[in-house]
Amino acid sequence: MQAKEVLDELKAILVSRLKFDPRRAAEMTADTPLPKGIDGAIGLDSLDFIELSIAIEERFGVVLDESEDLAPHFASLDALCRFIVDRTNGG
Amino acid sequence: MIRAVVTGLGAVTPFGLGVKTYWNGLAAGLCAIRPVTLLDTQGLRCRLAAEVPEVIPGSRRRSRADRLALAAAVEALEDAHLERAERAEVAVVVGAVGGGMFEAEEWYWREAGRGAVEPDRRALGAVLPWSHAEVVANALGLYGPRETLTTACSSGAAALAVASELVTTGMVDLVLAGGVDAITRICYLGFNALKLLDPEPCRPFDRERRGMSIGEGAGFFVLESAEHAAARGARVYAELAGYGMTSDAYHVTSPDPEGRGMARAMVEALTRSGLNAADVGYANAHGTATPQNDRMEGLALRAVFGAEGLLVSSTKSMIGHTMAAAGSLEAMATVLALVHDVIPPTVHLDSPDPEVAFDCVPHRARHAAIEHAISNSFGFGGQNVTLLFRRACT
Repeated sequence: MQAKEVLDELKAILVSRLKFDPRRAAEMTADTPLPKGIDGAIGLDSLDFIELSIAIEERFGVVLDESEDLAPHFASLDALCRFIVDRTNGG
Repeated sequence: MIRAVVTGLGAVTPFGLGVKTYWNGLAAGLCAIRPVTLLDTQGLRCRLAAEVPEVIPGSRRRSRADRLALAAAVEALEDAHLERAERAEVAVVVGAVGGGMFEAEEWYWREAGRGAVEPDRRALGAVLPWSHAEVVANALGLYGPRETLTTACSSGAAALAVASELVTTGMVDLVLAGGVDAITRICYLGFNALKLLDPEPCRPFDRERRGMSIGEGAGFFVLESAEHAAARGARVYAELAGYGMTSDAYHVTSPDPEGRGMARAMVEALTRSGLNAADVGYANAHGTATPQNDRMEGLALRAVFGAEGLLVSSTKSMIGHTMAAAGSLEAMATVLALVHDVIPPTVHLDSPDPEVAFDCVPHRARHAAIEHAISNSFGFGGQNVTLLFRRACT
């Protein structure tokens, strides 16, 4: 999949599964930080990350391996996009 | 008067994914009771179960039971051709018992030094029975009333009864309702310890029956007001014409010895449907194949319907006892029997019990056009539900 497609899907997931206001999702840029507690972040908490992980696994058909440190991949939409593109393209 | 009709079906069963697979298995009289793979049954009296044989879709972060529920729910909504916008007002009613217990047990087993699987402590978050309704509503965008019913082995039937009430009282036009259970150690080992499991595939209504076979699965219905269904041109499978719910208030595990609670549930279903006993042509029995249940149920059926003319079968002989899913999966078998004019059989019935004086449709499915049929579900502790379906007007 292309990065643009993945980015649009992730924004759709934020709206449909994490119940974000669609306008807020539209305003996000690729480098907006995700985790709560970081300046300018959209503020996802641990439950949001679980829901997001489920949605990513079901939408993109990738398996997120808990034994590796996933935090860097969930730092921003950009990082997450690169991670998903890498996995879906057989990386 | 508002009538509740069935406009969508979805199932995951020991035959595999989908309603079509389920019905094909039932109509062919196949038996899905096989050696257990999900649990260690070394040294147990019974080592068989009716497991869902395929990979169940959905993230592995979800419990097995949540994935069963989600797959069946998605099929039912798609079958009813409900688009996302129409789904917003759909109510969700789920019959559940085990919840995410299978994964919780894995975690506990490991903590106790017995399991080989690396547990995920977050699995504990989905342990409670209402997890299924939450997962289904969240994933599918269903914003109507949400209920979870836990009445042991009749939970799936109780969910349909309560769902029909939501429709016929005018509270909602659409309900997604059904039951779900995955195999769990507490259920399997518990029934094994009670010596209620047959070491061979179960034989309902047979003189030699020795207990039940455990199964798992999920069955979901879209129930809809007849007017709403007609307005959008929905296909109608059948009408849920009435139900009865009663309690034995007798004993923690044994049914009332004369089957009075069961009989009252059936009479109540007839009364609510405005029908006589002679109007009913088929009963999908609870038929667990325990010595007690089948005898009491036979007595109760006879007290209500007499011994003539009623066809009785237990589809548990093919898919085992799917616990909280049983009431909804067997209601689905009943509806499909009306749709296809085919009565699913009771397989393994070689020597009929003379105490059960009915034609129990042994071995092979039978062609029969029936106008009305009931589905019985009786939960541990005397929690009785009878659902009564009417053939769709054509």
